[in-house]
Order: sequence, then structure tokens, then C-alpha cells
Amino acid sequence: MGSPIEHGGIEFVVAAYVITWVVLGAMLTRLIGAVRRARTEYQQASKGEFRT
Amino acid sequence: MAFRDDMRRIRAIVWKDLTTERRSKAGFNSVVSLGVTILVLFGLALGPDAQALRDAAAGALWLAVLFAGVLAFNRSYQVELDGGALEALLLYPGARWAIFAGKLIANLIFVSLMLVIVVAVGLVLFGVRVPAQWPSLLGLMMLGVVGIVALGTFYAAMSSRSRAREVLLPLLLYPMLIPVLLAAMMATKLFLSGDLMNELGTWVSLLGAFDVIFLVATFLAFEYVIEV
Amino acid sequence: MSRNDTTQFGPPRPAPAWLGWGALLFFLFTQVYAVVTSPADAMMGHLQKILYVHVPSAWVTFAAFGVVLVASIHFLWKEDERADLLAAASAEVGAMFCGLTLIQGMLWGRPTWGVWWSWDARLTSTLVLFLIFVGYLALRSFVEDPHRRGQWSAAVGILGAINVPIVWMSVRWWRTLHQIQSDPREVAPVFLRGWLLNVAAFSLIAVWFIWKRYEAARYERAAEHAAQAAALGGNNG
Repeated sequence: MGSPIEHGGIEFVVAAYVITWVVLGAMLTRLIGAVRRARTEYQQASKGEFRT
Repeated sequence: MAFRDDMRRIRAIVWKDLTTERRSKAGFNSVVSLGVTILVLFGLALGPDAQALRDAAAGALWLAVLFAGVLAFNRSYQVELDGGALEALLLYPGARWAIFAGKLIANLIFVSLMLVIVVAVGLVLFGVRVPAQWPSLLGLMMLGVVGIVALGTFYAAMSSRSRAREVLLPLLLYPMLIPVLLAAMMATKLFLSGDLMNELGTWVSLLGAFDVIFLVATFLAFEYVIEV
Repeated sequence: MSRNDTTQFGPPRPAPAWLGWGALLFFLFTQVYAVVTSPADAMMGHLQKILYVHVPSAWVTFAAFGVVLVASIHFLWKEDERADLLAAASAEVGAMFCGLTLIQGMLWGRPTWGVWWSWDARLTSTLVLFLIFVGYLALRSFVEDPHRRGQWSAAVGILGAINVPIVWMSVRWWRTLHQIQSDPREVAPVFLRGWLLNVAAFSLIAVWFIWKRYEAARYERAAEHAAQAAALGGNNG
């Protein structure tokens, strides 16, 4: 192929994994937060305490 | 029988939209001026090398038509919404697709007239020699306009009735237009620069095929978009 | 053409915790397994390892978009609001994986091809897919009425799904006619097991994410219904 492979290039591998894990982790916390908030809202609303 | 009625409805909507445009004129004039302004900006960004300008002419022409045309799509519903006329239009009996066809044809005429002026100015500004078979060039560009207008009219039906309509229409429309624009730009470029590799026919037929696909898709989907 | 505004649904069935924990543990295992067991490739060195996150992300992206397509069609057909909420959840998770795929691809491309970006069919259509995801989510955030939002976003999702293969094809044509070198990403599948394990793990993670997002959306709608019911005099929805 003749592409210019810089041997090693380990920092690209590390970056790819770190970014992947960080993004997945951020999504996870966001989702758990969203579910918790929505569930509380629902429970309050179904008890008739919810007012906006 | 029912088909004839639909044809009458389409004609009525086309007529109504074009009359509104003709009476106000301001809309058309400003859209054309905007198209020319965009061409000037492209010229400044790409120039002053004459050859570079000629090479980029096809792309610049299409983007100028696109950016100016997008204004027309939101306008075509905006006029209805301001007067509450869209609700009335929907209350009339008849197929919903007739509304879409009417709007589409009106936009098609509007954008085609705009394109003729913008392209004429663009060919002069970018130093492209007007080709001897210019009617074929116009025909080819009309194919591109059909694709742009079909998708533009469709997405504007949503964006014009949402918040943030100015940003939403381009955001939804431009990614969808990539195949049509790519084929239209390539075909125009080959037409203007001389078709050495005999590729022009391929791009024109691709463009035609994209038009058919997106026309069918938007006609089918319009029913759901206009319903509420 | 029945309006679905009056459909009442209660709280959703929560995503089982074991699925979340199982997906997490399996994911950790496959990541470590793939990284540890893969030897340095003769050509690529350790760069090969990027593909253990890149290929699964790309797969999940397209699978998620497939879910958006199917759920959108189902929504337009059956007017079931749950399908709309599922499509939205899938689009959100798919957009995240699509963004990840693009970033990982660039991190792969830079040391391998010497450029961050190349205008080939795969890259371009993935980027267009990302833009369509973004437009889809933006549309949802700008429209309040649930019925209208469902119909509009379903239309956008379906047209977007038609568009992506067309973009792929037209960019391919564009490139072939310009005679630029073939895609250098053809890698011999020596490391197939690591790939497949990671594809499975990422899929599980995606299923759980989508389920969680869907669950949150269902609670939100159920809360709205309950609030409406309370306002109308009933005491639960």
C-alpha cells in the first residue's frame, strides 16, 4: 500500500480508547440521571402533587 | 373525474402562489439579488486567477442557487401561515398531495426564473464562455432544480411551522441534497468544461434517477407531514 | 387518522439491572481480551487495536439507524406513540455512536494514511448519516406537539434512511470517475474473534442505552398524562 505508517503510533490507540470510554461513561451517567428524574416526576404527578 | 379535480386544485394553488409573488415582486427581486451577491462572494473567495474561477464556476453557481432558493421554500408556507390560510387550505376537500404538487410547481417556476438570471450573471462573472448548446445546459440545470425544489418544498412544510425555522430548514435539507447537488454540479462542470471522458450522460441519468426517487418519497411522505 | 393524544399509557417496564451489569462486565472483558490477546500486526503495529472500538461503533451506528427506520415506519402505520419514542431513543444513542465512529476513524486514518479525513464513500456517507441524526434530533427539540413531532420526525428518519445509501453510491461514483486510490482500510480479518466479541459487547451496551433512554421518555409521557388526569379531576392516570 505504501502508506506512511509511523511505527508505534500508540498515542492514537490510547486516544481512541480513552475517548470511547469517556463518551460511553458520559452517556451512561446522563441516561441514569434522565431516568431517575423522569421517574420521580412521574411518581409525583401520579400522586397529584405535581404542579408547574 | 377525481383526477381532473385534483388537477384543478393544483392549478389553483400554483396560480395563487405565483400571483402573490407577482404582486409583491420584492420577494423575487431580493432572492435574485442574494443569488448574485453570493456569486460575487464566491468570486472573491476563489479568484482572482481566471482559470481557477472557471473550474469552480459550476459548484459556485449551484451553491448560489441553493442558498438563495432556500429562502423561497420557507416563504412559500410563511405567506400562508401569516394569514392562517394553511388551515383553510387543509379544510378544503381533496387530496393532500395536490397541495404539495401546487406548492412544488409554484416553487419550481420561481426557482427556475431565479436560476436563469443567476446563471447568466454567473457565467459572465466567472468568465465562462456561453456554450453553443445552452438550451441543453438549461435543461440539465432544470433537472437539478427539480430535486432541490422537491426536497426543499417538503422540508419547508415542517420547518416553517416549527420554532427556529431559519436554522432548521438548512440543517435538514442540505444533507439530504448531497446526491442531487453532487450530480448536478458534476454534470454542469462537465458540460461547461467539455466532456472529454464521456461521463456527462452518466451524471445526467443519475440526476434524473435521484429526482424520481426523491419526488416519489416526498409525495408519499407529504400526507403525514401536512396532516397535523 | 386517529389522534393519539388521548392514548394513556402507564409507567414503562424498566430495563432489567442484570442486563446493564451484564453488558458492562462483558464489555470490560472483551475490551481487555482484545487488547491483550492481539499481537502487533506486521503492517499496522498496534494501530490494529483501534479497530476493536471502531468497527463495533460503526456497526452499532448503522443498526441503531435501522431501528429508527423500522420504528418510524411502524409509527406512521400503526400510530403507536411508543414506536416514536423508541425511534427517538435509538436516534440519540445512534448519534453518539456515529460521532464516536467518526472520531475513531480519524484517529485511525491519521497514522495509517497520513490524513485525518479522506473523501471516500464510507467516510462521507457516515458523516452525512451523523448530520441526519443531528437534524432529526434538532427537529424533535423544536416541535412540542407529540403527535406532530412523531409524524414529522418519522418522515425525516425514513427519508434520511433512503438518502444514506444514495450518498454512498453517488460519492463512490464521484470518486471512481476521479480515479483516486482504493480504500486502504481493507484489513485481513486475522483478528476476527476480537472484533466479533466487541461487536456483541457494543451491541449489548447500545441495547441497554436505548432501553434506558426509552424508559426515561416513557416516564416523561406518563407523567404528562398523569398531570393531565389530575388537572381534569381524576387522581391517577
